[in-house]
Amino acid sequence: MTSSSSPSRKALSKIACNRLQKELSEWQVNPPTGFKHKVTDNLQKWIIEVTGAPGTLYANETYKLQVDFPEHYPMESPQATFLISFFGIYIFVIFVPPAPLHPHIYSNGHICLDILYDSWSPAMTVSSVCISILSMLSSSPEKQRPADNDRYVKNCKNGRSPKETRWWFHDDKA
Amino acid sequence: MEKGESTSTSYSDTNGSNEPDHDFECNICFELAQDPIVTLCGHLFCWPCLYRWLHHHSHSQECPVCKALVQDDKLVPLYGRGKNQTDPRTKRYPGMRIPNRPAGQRPETASPPPQQPQNDAASNFFNYGIGLMGGFMPMATTRIGNFSFGVGGLLPSLFNFQFHGFPDAALYGTAPGYPFGGYHNGFRGVPGGNNEPTAPGGGHPSDAALKNILIVVGICVFFFLLL
Repeated sequence: MTSSSSPSRKALSKIACNRLQKELSEWQVNPPTGFKHKVTDNLQKWIIEVTGAPGTLYANETYKLQVDFPEHYPMESPQATFLISFFGIYIFVIFVPPAPLHPHIYSNGHICLDILYDSWSPAMTVSSVCISILSMLSSSPEKQRPADNDRYVKNCKNGRSPKETRWWFHDDKA
Repeated sequence: MEKGESTSTSYSDTNGSNEPDHDFECNICFELAQDPIVTLCGHLFCWPCLYRWLHHHSHSQECPVCKALVQDDKLVPLYGRGKNQTDPRTKRYPGMRIPNRPAGQRPETASPPPQQPQNDAASNFFNYGIGLMGGFMPMATTRIGNFSFGVGGLLPSLFNFQFHGFPDAALYGTAPGYPFGGYHNGFRGVPGGNNEPTAPGGGHPSDAALKNILIVVGICVFFFLLL
């Protein structure tokens, strides 16, 4: 169960490693507003704290974002999920807040955001992904789960990665 | 545990952001571009990175930065000075065959720059010749227009014709004090031809030769009109 939940089985390629180091050092010099990243030994898995932007529904709420990088990053998109308190899946984190209530965020933490899947481009960075996620949070008109949340989460029960889902994006404004 | 204790700095010592410019970094691997190639939209990549993205990972042929359409035959390689070309297949993505970088498209050799009109008599002659052609042709067509208009009576129209043709030719050819450059300039605007600076009016050394040529041309035109 844990193995299928962790998409980072394969070690990063050399190119991925070099690029992530560059991104990391740029992040340290100039982190995106509203995000905090604690540097760890694991370059392949970033845990990023995001604070809702002031003046939005999520102001002052803090969530944790886990970003996993595939072997062939940046040719393949990173996998960003909000951490939620399923013991046994993400065993290394203290799960304080649940995933934010948002029409594009499932209760298992999966995010429906096209740049994480089909619209990914290797010119994007962790930083730009984070900003997109914050922008998605900020533009939300109401706090609620996606309409198909229960069905989706049930299908993902065995810990499958959101990348295995065939996404279809209902909202172009996001 | 919660707040920013940088538990490990094993990556922070590779501080790539010390270097001030990222202008020549590949937009995919973020390193100095190898086998650099530029899209028509102006974005720089390593050729192996771009090839791999476009042909093995992307669903569409678009620029990773701006999503403009990217075509292999419209890519522009950058040939700097310095190291010889390396074969990309040996270097960056082992196990994946990446063809050679597209070659640059080389337009024809540039034609020699146009000479300044004041340089010598020959080029002056050339320029004036062009100017005169441009100046005369519209005139000829207007005359022909007259002619066809007056076709009803052949003789009067012919006279009319000569009458018009003569003074013009004389004016061009023989009027001694006519400021040449001024006339020339005035007419140059009409054909919309080349716009090099022209000689200032009067006092030019090759005026005499030009006048002779103008007379000859004038006579030619006259005979042409007679026919």
